[in-house]
Amino acid sequence: MRSPSVKRTAQAQRLIVVSLIAVALGFLLVVQLRSQAAVARSLAAQDDTSVALLINDLNRANNQLIQQGAALTQQEAQLRQALTAGGADVQAIQKEFVTLREVNGEVPVHGPGLQIRIEGTIMDFELQDALNNLRNAGAEAIALNGYRIVGSTPVQSHADSLLINGHAVHSPLSLLVIGDPEQLGPAADLSASSLQTRVQVQVQRQTELAITEVVTPRPLIYAQLGK
Amino acid sequence: MTVLASVSLATFLVTGLAATQFRSQPLPPSNRLARDEALRQSVNQLEDQNRALKARVQGLQAQVKAGEDESAHRSSAVQQVKAQLDDQRLIAGLTALHGPGLTITLHDGANPNDPADQSLGWTIHYQDLQDVVNLLWAGGAEAIAVNGQRVGPNSAFHYAGVNILVNNASRLSGPYTVTVLGNPSNLANGLGDPDQLAELKSRNRIYRLGLSWQRSTRLSVPAYEAAFLVKYAQPLG
Repeated sequence: MRSPSVKRTAQAQRLIVVSLIAVALGFLLVVQLRSQAAVARSLAAQDDTSVALLINDLNRANNQLIQQGAALTQQEAQLRQALTAGGADVQAIQKEFVTLREVNGEVPVHGPGLQIRIEGTIMDFELQDALNNLRNAGAEAIALNGYRIVGSTPVQSHADSLLINGHAVHSPLSLLVIGDPEQLGPAADLSASSLQTRVQVQVQRQTELAITEVVTPRPLIYAQLGK
Repeated sequence: MTVLASVSLATFLVTGLAATQFRSQPLPPSNRLARDEALRQSVNQLEDQNRALKARVQGLQAQVKAGEDESAHRSSAVQQVKAQLDDQRLIAGLTALHGPGLTITLHDGANPNDPADQSLGWTIHYQDLQDVVNLLWAGGAEAIAVNGQRVGPNSAFHYAGVNILVNNASRLSGPYTVTVLGNPSNLANGLGDPDQLAELKSRNRIYRLGLSWQRSTRLSVPAYEAAFLVKYAQPLG
C-alpha cells in the first residue's frame, strides 16, 4: 500500500507528463499549420502549375507541328514527282482542298468523338470555355443542336437562350464533337466538372458520329488580299 | 504503468507529427532555385523548338504553294481546283489581309493589393480575349489577329499563368492588341454596347483595366502560321 506522499508524487509526475505532451502537441500543430500555409504561398508565388501547363502545351504543339511538317513534305514530294514527270498532280491539290473545306465547316463529316448532353441553361461564356477546351484538345468538327460551329461562329446569350450565329438553341443541348476521343475526353470532363454544379452534363464517347450541318462562308467586303 | 502509457502515447504522437512536419517543410531555397531553373530551361528549349518547327512548316507551305502554282500553269484542271483551294485558304486564314477596321487594346489594371480581393480582376485573362474576339465575330469581323497571331478556325485561347497561349502554344503577353478587319462602325458599335463585355467593362471601372479601341482605314493581319491536319473527321458520302 502506497503512502499519501507517494501518491501525490505520482500524480504530479503524470500532470507534468500530460502538460509536456499538450505543449509539444500545441507547438507542433501551430508550426504544422504555418508551414503548410508557407508551402502554399511559395508555390503560388512560383506558379509552377502555370510553367508545367506551358510545358505540356508546348510539347503538344510541337508534336502537332512535326506532324504538319511530315504531311507537307509528303504533299510537296507528290507535287514535285508529277512535275518532274512532265505533268501535274490534281489529286494532291484536291486533297488539300477537301481538308480545308472540312476545317472551314463547309462539308458534312463523320468520325469518332464525343456526344455531350447538357440539360439546363448555360451562358455564352460557359459554352465558349467548353469550345475552347475542346479545340485545344484537337476537336476537328463541332455542332450544337443542329448548328455547325467553326472558329468564327459567334456564341451569345439572349435571355434564357443561347444564340449560335444568331439562332436560338434550347435545353437539352447536344454538342457533337469529332476528334480523338482520348484527347477530347479529359477536355470535356474539365468543362463538365465546372458546369455540373448547376446543370446536368453527360459525356459519351462515340466510335462514330455524323455532323451533317455546314456553314456558308461570309463574303469578304472590307478585307483585301495582301499585307 | 499509467505514466509509462502516457509517455508511450506522447512519443507516438510527437514522432508522427514530427514526421508530417518534416514532409511538409518547403524545399530548401537551393533546391527550389534549381527546380525553377530546370523548368524554365525546359520552356526555353521547347519554345526554341516551337519557333524552328513553325519556320519549317512555313517554309514547306511556301514550297507546296510553289509546286501548286507550277502545276496550275501546266494543267487547266489543276488551275480550276487551285482557284477553289485559294478561296478555302482565304477562309481558313492562311492568307494575309488588309483593310479598314479597329485596333483594340487591352491591358492589366492596378493591383488593389487587397487581401480580401483574390479575384485577380485587375489582370486580362484568356477569357477576356475570347469574349472580345467572339463579340467581333458577331459584329461582322472578316479577319482578326491578336498580338500578331491570326485567329483561325481552330484557334483557342489558353491559360498560361501571366501569359495567354494561342495557335500552337504561341505565348502572348500584355498589353494585348486585337486587330480586326471589317466595317469599323459596326465593330465599334458592338464594343460600345453597354450590354456587351459587361464584366470586362465593370473591371475597367474598378481596377482601371485598359479597354480602348481606335478606328483605322488601313490595317493588316498576317496569315495563320501553321497548317491544318484532319485525322479523324472524314467527309460524309
